[in-house]
Order: sequence, then C-alpha cells, then structure tokens
Amino acid sequence: MNVIEATQLVKTYNPDTIPVHAVNNVSLDIKKGEFTAIVGPSGSGKTTLLNMIGGLDTPTEGKVIVDGVEIDNLNQSELTDFRMHNIGFVFQSYNLIPVMTARENIEFIMLLQKIDKNARESRSEELMEKMGISETSKRRPSELSGGQQQRVAVARALASKPKFILADEPTANLDSQSTNSLLDIMAKMNEEENVTFVFSTHDQRVIDKAKRVITIVDGKVESDETK
Amino acid sequence: MIFSLSWKNIWRSKRRSLVVIGAIIIGVWALIFMIAFYNSFGAAFSKNAINYEYSHIQIHNPDYLIEPDIFNQIDDEEQIISLLNENPSVISYSGRRKVNGMIASSKTSIGVQIYGVDTRAESETTRLEEQLIDGTYFNKIKRNPVLISAKVADKLRVKVRSKIVITFQDMEGNITSASCRIEGIFDSKSPKINEGVIYLRKSDLNRLVGADGINEFAILLNNSEQIDEMKSTLTSVTANTVRSYKEVAPEFNLMEESSVVTKQLLTVVIMLALLFGIVNTMLMAVLERTKEIGMLRSVGMKKRSVFSMIMIETSLMGLLAGPIGLTFGYLTILWLGSTGLDLSAYSDALKEYGFDSVFYPQIKNSTYPILMSVVMFTAFSGAIYPAIKAIRLNPLEAIRKL
Repeated sequence: MNVIEATQLVKTYNPDTIPVHAVNNVSLDIKKGEFTAIVGPSGSGKTTLLNMIGGLDTPTEGKVIVDGVEIDNLNQSELTDFRMHNIGFVFQSYNLIPVMTARENIEFIMLLQKIDKNARESRSEELMEKMGISETSKRRPSELSGGQQQRVAVARALASKPKFILADEPTANLDSQSTNSLLDIMAKMNEEENVTFVFSTHDQRVIDKAKRVITIVDGKVESDETK
Repeated sequence: MIFSLSWKNIWRSKRRSLVVIGAIIIGVWALIFMIAFYNSFGAAFSKNAINYEYSHIQIHNPDYLIEPDIFNQIDDEEQIISLLNENPSVISYSGRRKVNGMIASSKTSIGVQIYGVDTRAESETTRLEEQLIDGTYFNKIKRNPVLISAKVADKLRVKVRSKIVITFQDMEGNITSASCRIEGIFDSKSPKINEGVIYLRKSDLNRLVGADGINEFAILLNNSEQIDEMKSTLTSVTANTVRSYKEVAPEFNLMEESSVVTKQLLTVVIMLALLFGIVNTMLMAVLERTKEIGMLRSVGMKKRSVFSMIMIETSLMGLLAGPIGLTFGYLTILWLGSTGLDLSAYSDALKEYGFDSVFYPQIKNSTYPILMSVVMFTAFSGAIYPAIKAIRLNPLEAIRKL
C-alpha cells in the first residue's frame, strides 16, 4: 500500500525571469514501512522534494497524494491539520522548543491533537524508553547533547503516530557514535512498529542503513534502488 | 497549552521581559503619580478659592452682575438670612457691602474694592482674621478701622495705624471721602484679594455711603456636594441671582477642563511610549524565534494558535506589571496624600497663583481599574503587529534555515 504517491512533480523558481527547475518531473511511490533515503549532492533538489511531500511547499506542476489524500487540494488550514495528524518531521538542527523539557517536547504534537493526558504520558514514556532518553525527560534541550536532542526530535515526530516521518538530513550535526545510535533506533522503530521513514541525506552511514535509496541529480531521479 | 507556552516564553529571555515589565510598572506608577499630583493642584486651587475668596455660593442682585454699582443691592436680605440660619448645610455666611473706590496714602493712591463686612461673619466665612500678619482684627481702633493687604500696604508705603483716605461714590451718586486708620495688615491666599481688596466694618461703610444694605452674600457650606441642593433652595425664595463658585469664577471650569485634557494627554504620551517599547521588544522576540515559529507551524500549530501565543505572552506581561505599577502608585499616593508634597522652594511663584506650597496628591479609586484597562489595551495593541508578523512567517523557514 502506497503511503506517498508523487506524480510528475515539478518545482520551478523564478518562472518569469530565469527559471530554475529545483525538481523536474519526479514521480515516486513510497510504501508503508519503507526506510528510504533520498540522496544527492547539495542543490540537487532533495530538500525541495521532501518539502513538497511534506506539504510545506506546493509543486509548480504535478501532485502529491498522501494516504489517498491529494494534499495540493487542501487549503492552508486543512494542510496544517493534515501535517499535524499524518506527517512527522525531523529537522537537521533538531528544532526543539527551548523552554520545554524533553518530555514536554515529545508531548507537544499530542497536545496540539488534544490527546488526553494519560495517553500522552504513556506514549511519551514508551518512546523515551525506546529511544534510551528516559533519564533526560525533565531536562531542557540546552541541557542535552546533540544526539539526545535528535532522539527527542524523533520521539516527538513518532509520538502522534504519523503515517510517515520526513527527516531532512537528520544526522548532519551528529558525531559518528550519535549517528549510529540514532540510525539503530530508527531502524528498530521501522522494523518493530513498521514506521515509514523518508530521509534526505548525503551521509553514507544513513545510505548504508537505508533499504531503498533514491538518487536525485539536478532535480531528476537518477536511480532508485531497493536493497 | 498555549497559555503555558506563552508563560514559559516570557522567561526565556528574562532580562528582556523584565525590561518590558519594569517599563510598564514605571509607566503606570508615573502616570498615577502625575494624575494625582495634577489633581492636587486642582483641589488646592478650589480649596483656597472657596475657603479664602468665593465661598461655595454667592448671591447678587441680577443688575449688579451687569453693572456692579452700590445701588444694585440685595433687597430681600432678611428673608435670605433667615433661610441660611435654619439650613444645616450652611457653616457660615457673610453679607457684604461692596464699593469700588480709591485708597490714598500721603505717598500715592490706587484703585481698590472696598468690602464692608460683618467682622465676625467674614472671619468665619473667609478666615480673614487668621490671615492677619500685623495689627489687630477690628477691636482697637474705634473710628473707621480698615484692613489692607501687605501688597497694598507696600504700594501705599503705609503700616499699621497709618492714616489713609478712601474715596468712592455714595448712594446719592456723590463722591465721598473718608479718613480711615489701618488696624491690620493681612496676607490672603487669594491673589485677587491681595491685589486690591480692603475691609471696613459694614456699619462704617454703610454710614459713609448713606444707606443700609448689602451687595453680596458669600455662603460657606459643609462641602461642595451640597451646592446644587442649596442653590435650588435659595432660588426658590429669592429673585436674586444665586451662583456657585464655579459660575462666579469661570477659571474653575477652565482649570477643570484643562486638567482633564492634560491628564488624557499624559496618559496617551506614557502609553504611546510603552506601546512602542512593547512592539519593539515583542518584534525582537518574534524575529529571534523565526525558526521555532516556522517549526511550530510545520508540525501543525495553526496560525490562530501562534497569534494567540504572542498576544497572551504580551498580555501576561501587562497583567503581571499592571497591578504592581498600580500598587506602587497607590502606596505612593497613600503616603504623599497624608504627608504632602512640599514645594516650598517654589512657594513665591505658587502663592502668586493662589496655591499653598504643600500639595496632597489624590486620585479617585475608580481611576485604578480604568488605568489597568488602559495598560491591558496598550499591551494588547503592542502585541498585534508582532503577532501578525509571526503568523505571516512561512513554515518552510524552519527547514530552509537548517
């Protein structure tokens, strides 16, 4: 079953002056439970592609269907709601809320979804245990290492049980040990909970761990390999 | 959740938030102090004018108001007196014979208003006796004793027991002169009285003008709230013109109106300064959090929630600072209201305008909730632009700023 169906996606910047095709006629399907890396050099268009899949950017042409919903047809408010309930985001620089503790950060999206307190607490405890960050629950982001922060960010993305998780270069700011540890956790979540992960990366360690690698060059899919 | 996030956001940059909170506290305190100080000017001006010059109510023959001649007397004096004697609102009253004339010493002469008064009643009504700075109060000189102000004494270069001559028109229309001896010199709190009013006994002046009668009643009441009722009571028994001190002296209304405008202007100026401070600070807070706000929008926080977050954040600072500022203001006014604010350094200038040198700042209790509303309105207004700026941020910023 396809979670994401992107059809003939085109994203053109400066269409009236000097058009730049950041993404040029890309079509791809991602199935439930995939662990996919979108790779390519800087400027190849992988982040733009991820933004369109995540409903943060609109394609100039083509369409994105997430779990059967054509997200380009949604208005801003519906799209915000859709992202909240269906897509988990992991950012390169963690983007945790600095005034909240690790636990509060993990529960944040569940709060937006108005999930009751007991369910929030049990879910966040479960995730913190799986991520190995239980002891950091009361610490603020500034008191955590980069690796711990990114694990909190992944836990936050997973907390609301989204259809898939988009991670934009999640290991770019991490050292080797933290990267391996994070990848192990994400791979474990993928296998145990069948969580769908889509990464953009040019980190070889992430590429090695991925089950499917889509290579983008100059806005086009150059190769699509499943291991 | 939004409330909790807003509260935590306030304390993420303690120094900046404390600057805003401090500015609101100082602004509110300063506003209360200035309003109360301004009120004390008005109150002191009214108090002195009532107690030393106009009293609460005055009665005149309507023609006297057009042409202040001696002939335009109050013809139903007895009827008014019996009403005043029976009315519990009346503390005292003074019936005056008033004549315009000249006063001359051996050196010079000046124009004055000559008040013929019942000495005891006048002292009870305008505290004339307690304002004496030299001489005695109508009890030593038997023939035509006169009280003059220190200012008039200076101009005439005379002192107690000096002889002066007053000249005026009598009831027949003839110019009459009389020799008088200065029994006392006073220093009134009323600049107008100091400038050109002299006091004779009413019996002496009436003898000199050749007729009994008075031209003016000045009536002192327990308080200003009784004016309207007393006016209507008096109007029902006399055809003469009954006026409150505010009607007698239009400068009271002018002062009241200018006081209201000044206080409004003060409020606007201080709140505008606060407004710009709040806008500036909250805008900085929003711009510093661009990435975070973008992230919040990316993960599903709606625009209205982001907007509310900024509005609540600012309002909470107003809610926190407003009552503190009001409390400081209240305590300051409580203290200064009892001890008074001594401006003796400016006493000469203040006296020129009929003020004492000690002021008692005062403010109505109903002003506090109004000021709190104004502070909240200012905080709310100051948050709108930063909040709009926040919701206009593109969620994509969060990812682009990686």
